[in-house]
Amino acid sequence: MIFDRFSFLIFFIIFFGLYWNVFNKTIKMQNLLILGGSYVFYAFADWRFLFYLIGVSAFNFWLGMAMERSKKHSRLLLWLGLLQGIGGLAFVKYFNFFISSFVDLFAVVHITLNLQLINIMIPLGISFFTFRTLSYLLDIDKGKIKATTDWVNFFTYVAFFPTLISGPIDKSRTFMPQLEKARVFDYNLAVDGMRQILWGLFKKVVVANNCAKIVNDTFMDYQHLPGSTLLYGAFFYAIEIYADFSGYSDMAIGISKLLGFRVSKNFDYPFFAQNIAEYWRKWHMSLTSWLTEYVFTPLSISFRDWGKAGLCLAIIINFAIVGIWHGANMTYVLFGLLHGCYFIPLILNGTMNKKKKLIKGNVIPSLIELFNIIRTFILVMLTFVVFRADTVSQAFDYYRHLFSSSLFSMPVSLNRFALFASLLMLGIEWLGRDGEYALADFQIKWTKAMRWAIYYMIIFAIFYYAGSEQQFIYFQF
Amino acid sequence: MDRNEIFKHVNEVFIDVLDDGNIVLSEETTANDVDDWDSLNHIQLVVAIEKLFKIRFSSKEIQSWKNVGEMISCIQGKAA
Repeated sequence: MIFDRFSFLIFFIIFFGLYWNVFNKTIKMQNLLILGGSYVFYAFADWRFLFYLIGVSAFNFWLGMAMERSKKHSRLLLWLGLLQGIGGLAFVKYFNFFISSFVDLFAVVHITLNLQLINIMIPLGISFFTFRTLSYLLDIDKGKIKATTDWVNFFTYVAFFPTLISGPIDKSRTFMPQLEKARVFDYNLAVDGMRQILWGLFKKVVVANNCAKIVNDTFMDYQHLPGSTLLYGAFFYAIEIYADFSGYSDMAIGISKLLGFRVSKNFDYPFFAQNIAEYWRKWHMSLTSWLTEYVFTPLSISFRDWGKAGLCLAIIINFAIVGIWHGANMTYVLFGLLHGCYFIPLILNGTMNKKKKLIKGNVIPSLIELFNIIRTFILVMLTFVVFRADTVSQAFDYYRHLFSSSLFSMPVSLNRFALFASLLMLGIEWLGRDGEYALADFQIKWTKAMRWAIYYMIIFAIFYYAGSEQQFIYFQF
Repeated sequence: MDRNEIFKHVNEVFIDVLDDGNIVLSEETTANDVDDWDSLNHIQLVVAIEKLFKIRFSSKEIQSWKNVGEMISCIQGKAA
């Protein structure tokens, strides 16, 4: 059951009705309904792994309490939890990758290993709910939260259906307190949520799905296309992945708001970033925040005697993890490493930490801002080629064709609608960039009549201009 | 070194590292209150403070501070 499908709409209407009218008598009932609904939701998406999800929840719940009860064994128990979480994730996602890489490594020296690849199925959402349980245990270890004795709350935190499959990744200390309080229906929050869902759906269905066709065609046939078309391919892929993932995130956040929850922000208009550090403060923020707290900060503390070199090392390791988190392919590792390397000039000249904020409220960016934005976008867009490619050699082949003289020849016919939709999205997001999401300030900026005119236009666009259905890109991670 | 002196020095470190002459710290100041203070430059603040006071924090201590006041108390304990 995916947010842009009709089946989800039916499920959610029923759920919403029950949540606010039948199960709203006590906090316990509210949470039980969410838990039950989440398991139904997950079962529809992937019933085979429901037992894994429940098992992981139970194991980590027990670990949390055990860590709290026995300070002496707390560290050991933490390691057990890390082993289960990271180990489980590594096994299902990366086992074949390790085996293949191992085999390839030995092949370089002409040794043939006969290792068996296993056909492992990856539980849906595992990259996301694993990070939720890990954050819980790490926070208990650091004393940032107390272990909960309420299993319903914990299981609900792990399986919360709006964010279960592809995030945003909430840390336990920001989410669990919300489960401990009753949710009271807030009309304004609900309307805000609906508006955010509408915008997310637009981005996914109208922008991302329409870009997908060009991108798929371009990448499939890149060897026979001029460099200028390959440039478009890279551009549209950047747009596609942003519209797809931020669209999904907007829907997840909006749905959470309809249920009275505030979950983590995931995007802050990353394509308007003026340098790479700013970009990562705006792209997939919940993952960046998670890694910064649990990986980068401890690493940078350990390496602090090595000055700038230490920071560089911490960043490179951090982004290698960002890369590999996406999946078992050297393309993702390379993607991460490239971004890590992009930081090095900023670390060396000391500007990594200086926030580079855009001037608020300007309709047109300044010349310097525009230059920085375009430069950052191009750097990022080029890394998306390797992200999208099937192999590293294919990516380099794509670059080779892109940066050839055919870059200056006419591109193959362009999908004008995809271009229009992309620019429209960017334009609306630019004008709305001071808000939580592009349409957040709508209530203030427009009259009721204007707002509804725009809502109807968006709804019309969603139904009329929907690109052919594509799975959410981040479902595979 | 008395607490106020430490406070003054730490404030100066913040102004220097974050390149912002307007920073005025209080006991309860946290990273949320200071515009440019985030995890990325936190470590540079720590290093600058360690160099200035000629002390060494453990990783656990660094991650335990909830506000400037707690940081100062930690320095006080070591710089004595």
